[in-house]
Amino acid sequence: MSQFIDADDLALLASSFEAAMADAPGPSEADQAMYDLGWAELLASAPGQGTATAFSALGATGSAASLLDDVVANALGAETALESCCVFPAPHKADAPGHLHGDTVIVDGMLSARAEAAVTAVLGVGTENGVGHFAVDAGLLYGPAVNGIDPGRAYRRVVVEIPAGALEPTASEGSWESAVAGARVALAHQLLGGARWMLGEARQHAIDRAQFGRPVASFQAIRHKLADSLVQIEGAASVAGACLHDSDPMLAALAKSLAGQAARTTATHAQQVLAGIGFTAEHRFHLWLKRMLVVDTLFGSASSIPVEIGQHLLSEGTAPRLIQL
Amino acid sequence: MDPETFRRDLGAWLDDNANDLTPPYEGIGSMDAHMAHYSHVKRALFDSGFGRYGWPESVGGLGGSPLLRAIIGEEINFRDLADPNAWTMIEVLAPTVIDFAPPELSARLVPPFLRGDEMWCQGFSEPDAGSDLASLSCRAAETDGGWVVNGQKIWTSFIEYSQRCVLLVRTGQPESAHRGITALLVDIDSPGISYSPIETMHGRRDFAEVHFDDVFVPSDRLLGEVNGGWRVAMDILPYERSTTFWHRGALLHRRFSDLVAQVSAAGNRGDAAAKALGQAFQWIVAFRSRSRDTQHQLAAGEQLGVETSVDKILITSAEQQLFETARDLLPGVMEFDDDLAAALWRNDYLYSKAATIYGGTAEIQRNIVARRLLDLGPES
Ligand SMILES: Cc1cc2nc3c(=O)[nH]c(=O)nc-3n(C[C@H](O)[C@H](O)[C@H](O)COP(=O)(O)OP(=O)(O)OC[C@H]3O[C@@H](n4cnc5c(N)ncnc54)[C@H](O)[C@@H]3O)c2cc1C
Repeated sequence: MSQFIDADDLALLASSFEAAMADAPGPSEADQAMYDLGWAELLASAPGQGTATAFSALGATGSAASLLDDVVANALGAETALESCCVFPAPHKADAPGHLHGDTVIVDGMLSARAEAAVTAVLGVGTENGVGHFAVDAGLLYGPAVNGIDPGRAYRRVVVEIPAGALEPTASEGSWESAVAGARVALAHQLLGGARWMLGEARQHAIDRAQFGRPVASFQAIRHKLADSLVQIEGAASVAGACLHDSDPMLAALAKSLAGQAARTTATHAQQVLAGIGFTAEHRFHLWLKRMLVVDTLFGSASSIPVEIGQHLLSEGTAPRLIQL
Repeated sequence: MDPETFRRDLGAWLDDNANDLTPPYEGIGSMDAHMAHYSHVKRALFDSGFGRYGWPESVGGLGGSPLLRAIIGEEINFRDLADPNAWTMIEVLAPTVIDFAPPELSARLVPPFLRGDEMWCQGFSEPDAGSDLASLSCRAAETDGGWVVNGQKIWTSFIEYSQRCVLLVRTGQPESAHRGITALLVDIDSPGISYSPIETMHGRRDFAEVHFDDVFVPSDRLLGEVNGGWRVAMDILPYERSTTFWHRGALLHRRFSDLVAQVSAAGNRGDAAAKALGQAFQWIVAFRSRSRDTQHQLAAGEQLGVETSVDKILITSAEQQLFETARDLLPGVMEFDDDLAAALWRNDYLYSKAATIYGGTAEIQRNIVARRLLDLGPES
């Protein structure tokens, strides 16, 4: 039974999550701090609001906390624990990362920073009867470190083959589809939290920075870029918010795609407004930009989800009336 | 009445009366045919009672939440029963007239408007006052028992079919800007009003140029206060961007679904087509979601304000993207075909270009977002 948290408590929760993640030196400390604040219990009792609050904070702080593992595990009905991680789909994809080939499982997916110290991993494996979820020894998945674009190393690729015998059946009752939907909504909130942070930085810079004897915020070209960013963020945020009361998987897909698009647009505009200083390693902007590029690819991106949705619409031959008054 | 019951009852009634309510013309139809059918549908709705919900009893309504009005337009547009643009005028003008007209005046004039017996128009823009509406110069001078209006308006939609006009006039000094503007409710058949229709690029006589030559307007036709017309105009904006947007969003949703059906039937299942459709759909849904939030704010009695510029930018972007996508995915259809479906795509494609112009241009909306929502300080 999901409980409802009122606005004041939610705001309190948001600020404690933000503080905890901002103060943590690395992802494992951030995970620990979130668990200390009761994140796992919150996820179990109020998954929608809990996820929205935690992932907005994740995006706003730029933390590399591995909360996505908990969201996916919870949706699959698996145990949420700091020692347990999940294997996520390959970049831009949403299908199960494991594929059975004879007595080998080909794993092509992603892992979060939590996988480094995790004991077990939850792996979705596509079979002819749909996706099954299994527990595997996390050590089988964790290979040599790869740097990638994100200095915070929140996520990394995993491409390995493991013996089918390593798969241990789990008693999970959740569906892969619901895990995908849950992850997409969570990531939408993270992308929007990050986009709002980038917009905030650009806005402040535009007000503080003077050229030609006036703040650059007074130039219409700058103003319209920031306005367009805000409009996309608000449109996407409304859909992400609607997912709280509506579990339609297509709505979750749209939320993720819209949030990714809003984050891309905002990053481009914020970069341009920040100009030289925003191109430095010293300014923190690049950290949010790079995290956004990574998070955008998880569980389908702003480029791949529209294809998925469009294919679905074309096969139905009609568009469903989403969002009811 | 609760919205879900209302939607169910209304839906059943619309289905039962489908024959009577379906337009008698196929495809686009002439402007005259549109307007006649629009009045017919409005009247049927009003007489059945459905069309009176969401409006106060003082103007012939049955009360209830404005959500009920959003639902009516949504169901009408999903079923393609009546012209959404003509309908817009009611949702844009009636709430403000109810707010600002003397109660006896609105009790007398608003009911025929709601029933579709009358059409009203909005006389704001002038040849030299478009985006800079506060610079308008059509003058009203006080005279015995009222005003005498002289000047010109332009782009006045539906004036040919209208009985009345919400008119903004200059009553202060020429340089008084928004402080010297007054709003009047003027009868179109008043001596001294003349207009010449302007044909739009989508081949319709949507709007006209209007001349006022010593037009007498009695003093009881004042909306709000003398020199308080700017408040009236500002009061209209949130209405212009709430209920009517929900209606138009339903139309866009239906047209999107038409597009999916046509592309699907043509066997175009490529990823490029799918992506374009997915991208168009996501902004339609983003608008719809945002507008839903706005409808609920309105229903809760909250004062809507500048944040509705976000709704406006979302719907105009969604609309233009939808019809650009249609042009791409139905190759050559709107450019070269003349069948009904092609004519409709052509019409809607061309009309979508007006979306970033009327009701405050795309640039003006972004100026508002930048100044009021992002608090970026003054422009240079
Ligand atoms: C289909 C249609 C129906 C209409 N119906 C009505 C109606 O019923 N009643 C009515 O009163 N009016 C109506 N209008 C008029 C409409 O409100 C005006 O066209 C609109 O306000 C813009 O004015 P304008 O055309 O004079 O353009 P202008 O204001 O001259 O603008 C020209 C260009 O300059 C830009 N611009 C202007 N000021 C700024 C600024 N400060 N910053 C940045 N860019 C700026 C504009 O965005 C635009 O791109 C209608 C228009 C259309 C297209």
